[in-house]
Amino acid sequence: MTRYGLGRLAWVAAALAAILFALTPLVWMVLTSLKSNREITQETSLVPESLTSANYVSLFSGREFGAYLTNSIVVTTLSVAIALILGTQAAYVLARFRLWGGMQRYVGFSLLMVRLLPPVVIIIPIFLVAQQFGLLNTQLSLIVVYATFNVTIVVWMMESFFREIPVDLEEAAMVDGDTRFTAFRRIVLPLAAPGLVATGIFAVITTYNEFLFALVLTSTPAAETMPVGAATLIGRINVDWGAMSAAGVIGALPIVVFSIFVQKHLVRGLTMGAVK
Amino acid sequence: MRVTASCATTARFVFLVVTIETVLGLALAVLVSREGRFIRRIRATLILPMIITPVVVGIVFRLIYASDVGLLASIAHAVGLDPPQILSSGTGAFWGLVVLDVWEWTPLLFLILLAGIQSMPVEPFEAARVDGASAWRSFVDHTLPLLRPTILVAVTLRAIEALTTFDQVYVLTRGGPGTSTQLISIYGYQTFFQFQETGYAAAMLFMVALVVLLAAGFAVGLMRRRGR
Repeated sequence: MTRYGLGRLAWVAAALAAILFALTPLVWMVLTSLKSNREITQETSLVPESLTSANYVSLFSGREFGAYLTNSIVVTTLSVAIALILGTQAAYVLARFRLWGGMQRYVGFSLLMVRLLPPVVIIIPIFLVAQQFGLLNTQLSLIVVYATFNVTIVVWMMESFFREIPVDLEEAAMVDGDTRFTAFRRIVLPLAAPGLVATGIFAVITTYNEFLFALVLTSTPAAETMPVGAATLIGRINVDWGAMSAAGVIGALPIVVFSIFVQKHLVRGLTMGAVK
Repeated sequence: MRVTASCATTARFVFLVVTIETVLGLALAVLVSREGRFIRRIRATLILPMIITPVVVGIVFRLIYASDVGLLASIAHAVGLDPPQILSSGTGAFWGLVVLDVWEWTPLLFLILLAGIQSMPVEPFEAARVDGASAWRSFVDHTLPLLRPTILVAVTLRAIEALTTFDQVYVLTRGGPGTSTQLISIYGYQTFFQFQETGYAAAMLFMVALVVLLAAGFAVGLMRRRGR
């Protein structure tokens, strides 16, 4: 009995410590963003004495955060949509057909390798290609790059979802006169909807959060996304702490809100298939 | 050679963060694994650090470490101590970066290992209990061996990502002070975009790509074997 009591105490303590460790830094950022700059730099108070929204106002009036947010939303939505449309069809083919020489196994494999390849190792060729095509500082360059990366994750995740759906269902539909494509659209896709949602969520989060490509390929608020915008606030010498913390909050907010809505499906996506 | 120094820094960073995150994540997963309802409630909180934009994570930790306005400085001020100088010393900045990474990614290890623990068969543990084995023995004899494949996949995936950590360093220290946090990705980026040495930078990053591909092939092989 004591033993059980001790064990219980241990896990409660550990869980509380973990939550405290996870939340304190974020709470501090929010608190800082609500202080006036004078309070931040001169009084080093832990809790704000008076709340102000001045830091947030300055992001949208003096700086271009409205533009960053629009760019982020446009780029994320379009690249994820393109990736889902192309990727689900590719994944379906890999799940259902035998390609020449059993190639379907290697296609899935190599796509996953591309997915695991971090942006920084291919940033130089991507930059040079975008430069050659005159695509630097356009939303289009980001959409193309992100769609490419997202296709790989969509194929990898959707293939396993499609495999779990019995072939008989589509075959029955095709016997009744559907073409393969209509069978795919009417029977398979709706059944794979939960997988599609999880995949879309994961793609949205990684795309919105992506920094390096956006940093390298864009240079003005005409195409810069939220993470780049937030990073530009960090000067070398003089830091506007209030604006920076507000930028952090605004930058993180869309994804946090999004994740609260889609909580149930998050874990599978985030752990990238390492968890079955 | 700066590139060897950068490789050494990166290797040290990857080794430290992956080890710390695995140990912490495993400990937490073992501790809470029997409390299903509770986990669902805290999971949303623990997921926060890993979904938040990495650039913002960098900002969050700037706001903690800053020697004039940071959280640590404010706490030190409140209890009457000198503010700690974290980002201005090499060792401090490096460990500051390690703590940042542990904060951001321990939840991932926790989630993966927790799922692994929950999908383990119960029989060996019941048998161990009947035989009177201690919780620690049962952990060493059963949990660890059964969890080994999951740990391997998780550690490899995390190591690949840690190897090319960029955003957080860019915001927190830009590789400094000196070269104390100059991870290979930051050095490669600077070599190309600041020093304009395209060939050298490309060679360096290609080297990194080879390491990553090797590790990725290993991870994918492991995942497929388990999927079957």
